[in-house]
Amino acid sequence: MPQFDHEPPKWALWFLQLYCKPRIREIIEGDAYELFYKRVETDGLTAAKRKFGWDVLRFFRPKYIKGLEDINSLNNNAMFKNYLKISVRSLVRQKFFSIINISGLSLGLAACLLIMLYITNELSYDNFHKDVDRVYRIANGQGGQYTPARLGAQSKMDFPEIEEVVRLSGPYDQTFKVNSQIFKEGDGFSADSTFHKIFTVQFLEGNPDKALTEPNSIILTESLATKLFPNQEAYGQLLTVGGNSIKVTGVVADPPNNTHFHYNFIESFPHESWITVGNWTGNNFFTYAKLAPGATPESVEAKYPDFVAKYVGPDLVKYTGHTNYEEYLAEGGRQGTFTLKPMKDLHLYYPHMALGSQGDVNNVYIFSAVAFFILLIASINFMNLSTARSAARSKEVGMRKVLGSRRKQLVHQFLVESMLISLVAMILSLGIASLFLDGFNQLANRNFSYSDLLALDTLSRLLGLVLIVGLLAGSYPAFYLSGFQPLRALKGENKIGGGNVFLRKGLVAFQFAISIFLIISTMVVFSQLRFMGKKKLGFQPEQIMVVKHTGVLEGNLGAFKNQLLQNPNIESISLTDRYVSDRISDWGYSTMEDNPRSFSLMNLFTTDEYLETMGLELVEGRFYSNDLASDSASVVINEATKKALAFDEVLGKKLSRGDGEDFTVIGVVRDFNYASLKRSVEPLILRRMFEDGRIEGDWYAGDFLSLKVTGNFGETVKQVESEWNTLVQDEPFDFVFLDDSFNSLYEEERRFGKLFTVSSGLAIAIACLGLFALAAFTLERRRKEIAVRKVLGATVKNLTLLVVSDFTKLVAIGALIAIPVGYWVMNDWLATFAYQININNPLLFLTPVIVVAIIAWLTVGFQSVKTATGNPVKALRSE
Amino acid sequence: MQRINLGEFEELVLLVVAILNDNAYGISVMEEIEAQTERKINISAVHSALDRLESKDFLKSEVGGATKERGGRRKRFFTVTIAGNKALNFVREQRNRLHEQIPNIDFGLNQYASI
Repeated sequence: MPQFDHEPPKWALWFLQLYCKPRIREIIEGDAYELFYKRVETDGLTAAKRKFGWDVLRFFRPKYIKGLEDINSLNNNAMFKNYLKISVRSLVRQKFFSIINISGLSLGLAACLLIMLYITNELSYDNFHKDVDRVYRIANGQGGQYTPARLGAQSKMDFPEIEEVVRLSGPYDQTFKVNSQIFKEGDGFSADSTFHKIFTVQFLEGNPDKALTEPNSIILTESLATKLFPNQEAYGQLLTVGGNSIKVTGVVADPPNNTHFHYNFIESFPHESWITVGNWTGNNFFTYAKLAPGATPESVEAKYPDFVAKYVGPDLVKYTGHTNYEEYLAEGGRQGTFTLKPMKDLHLYYPHMALGSQGDVNNVYIFSAVAFFILLIASINFMNLSTARSAARSKEVGMRKVLGSRRKQLVHQFLVESMLISLVAMILSLGIASLFLDGFNQLANRNFSYSDLLALDTLSRLLGLVLIVGLLAGSYPAFYLSGFQPLRALKGENKIGGGNVFLRKGLVAFQFAISIFLIISTMVVFSQLRFMGKKKLGFQPEQIMVVKHTGVLEGNLGAFKNQLLQNPNIESISLTDRYVSDRISDWGYSTMEDNPRSFSLMNLFTTDEYLETMGLELVEGRFYSNDLASDSASVVINEATKKALAFDEVLGKKLSRGDGEDFTVIGVVRDFNYASLKRSVEPLILRRMFEDGRIEGDWYAGDFLSLKVTGNFGETVKQVESEWNTLVQDEPFDFVFLDDSFNSLYEEERRFGKLFTVSSGLAIAIACLGLFALAAFTLERRRKEIAVRKVLGATVKNLTLLVVSDFTKLVAIGALIAIPVGYWVMNDWLATFAYQININNPLLFLTPVIVVAIIAWLTVGFQSVKTATGNPVKALRSE
Repeated sequence: MQRINLGEFEELVLLVVAILNDNAYGISVMEEIEAQTERKINISAVHSALDRLESKDFLKSEVGGATKERGGRRKRFFTVTIAGNKALNFVREQRNRLHEQIPNIDFGLNQYASI
């Protein structure tokens, strides 16, 4: 076979054709072919093909690559230098416009930068855990966070899809005693020994597999370990907690901030029956499961209804009084199930299941929208000012065109100019952002540092943003200006066309709309907050002081109470197991009828002074008494419970907890708000607690002492504290007034309000900058017109009104857009509150419009008065 | 006279083009260099050098006829220009001049002893 029948590899020819300049390609191909044919003879076909490919690759040099002809051309570089030079000159010449442009844009970018930081952080939650995609939180029903004790272990046994499970409980505070020093630490959790198999934990000391197997073991984070045991090894040391010795079995690195549960220490569970065996109707634990690779959460969820029937059913039937689970279901009992929520969604999508991380996907959306709007306002300024200045630059454009500029080159020039402005703004925005980092941290309830701000990926995102803004904001002026007819531009005929004015005014109206919308939101949020602060709760929260952790008083409880009652400012004292505004848990009760009905009632144990201490109003019957032994099974309900039970006569009716625990309703109190005003008053049941803090079954539950304080609050708090300190050694004094505690429930809303205040302030500031410059420009252009009017007899008032009314119209248009949107959005927000302000109050909507109008008048009016009072001769002289 | 800027490999290529006279194109130059100096070189390096020499006006090129050995593609023949010739002569004279000025000393160990 002659060598000419062989062909070199196709890909090499294709590649050569792809990159090579056509003029040279033939020669290169020819040489390559010639070598190829020779090599087929000498080296064999395979080697020849390989070498042919290699030759082609070696020819891949800039000299032979097509399309690169101009890359190093001097002309282009020179033009680019010229663009830069002209841009800098025009920026410097128009200092006023440039400063407004750059400052507005840098404010907007700074806001965006901070918000970008926040959003990136929100989306990164829990991603550091290994196999996070396989880890799920098991929810009770569709979203209940507490699950039965044996759920995890039994699921792992029954379902092959589940690889590992762990139970957690917490977060709680714990008081540690180390060598007679007392530390009170929060963010504590208890966990099973499989903790490290689900979550990624870096053990610095201790054996991960053994650390939590024994009761009374504790793992400390590095920072807590150094705090408790400064200058010594924490591992292996003993701590005292409530009289028990606890051994430090591990020291772990501090968990990152972006996790849905931030722990300070992890304790092992005690080996007690409520933990090891538990009760299928008692939900006390958070359960996490790691699925086997390839298993889907749906396949596990599908098996849970049967699982519930098998295990939960018998326990459920026992307390509802049905004969079996089927009958329970048939009579309208709720069918239980469990669902799996991806762990990485807990922070944003299931914040009520996150263990203290306080995330909310709505916040991400709101923050993004705010960032977008602020940047939009700044970009609009940019576009407006550039087009407004077009007349001033039309001669330049005309001259360039006459001298041979192509349109493309003019577009380049204006884009370079806008990029330059954006880049300067970007550098300034970094400075502004770092200045306001602390304030932003408060606003977002996060903890960002300067190094987060200057991290490479934040900066590269910012750069991307800047390029986009520069391109978008710069492209309209660039294409608009470069489209001028050279002759008309040079003759000065290039008056700004009608369409352009319309667009510019439309953009200003849009800026007003955004500002008005933000002010409306701010006002609604703050009115709602003030309303909730003033709302009558049904008791006097500012008079109630709650002393916490009274359980440690033990035998001294009576003495403590007696001492306090000596104080004339303390009127009454009552002991409870929880306190209003804090978490009160719901317990299941059922009626004692032929067809028992089940209810879930908020359950509070109190001593008999509670009615007096809280100042509650009794509407029916009487309150239970601690002096009557017969009242041990008496309960008092609120009106909501009465309504839910729907008996004609509720007094004397019995409620059951199953197992023969029956309670008689002896009184009804008027509804009072014992939880956040976001929720209406839910059914509540008050049960008696013994004076010594015991409840049924001799459990101790008296953890909170409510004091009614009528005056001289500062003195009283001091006195209570000194009494506490004489009786208690191991527990610091901790108290709260209920009005403060209620207020802290609205922390999120208050932050929300602050966010709107800041962003509306920022939006107005940026919009005003733009308005100021635009007004200055408009007046400059209308100077002669105003002078002529003045000569013809118009007064200063007439002239000022003429200009101001123009801008007032824009405010009105903005208001027309903002009010319906604001109404709709804020109505939606208010819907999350059970008690809301009346949004139909016209003041809520008119005040923002008037505020914006006044600001616009001040901005424009000042300048128009200045122009109108000027001597008309000066303006007309040049004609 | 203007300074003549000729790299070592360029000089080699220029010389070979002069030697090959009428038949200087990519492959023949490469093969000639390989034969004369026993260096292994890639065809792309030869092309690169030829192009550089042409842009310095030491070579000129014209496109010849197509042949079967080249898959029907044409050759690009190079010839040395007058400037190229001058450059070769200049380099050669310069070298000779320098060679002649080397003093006739013993390159042995004595040179160190004499210091």
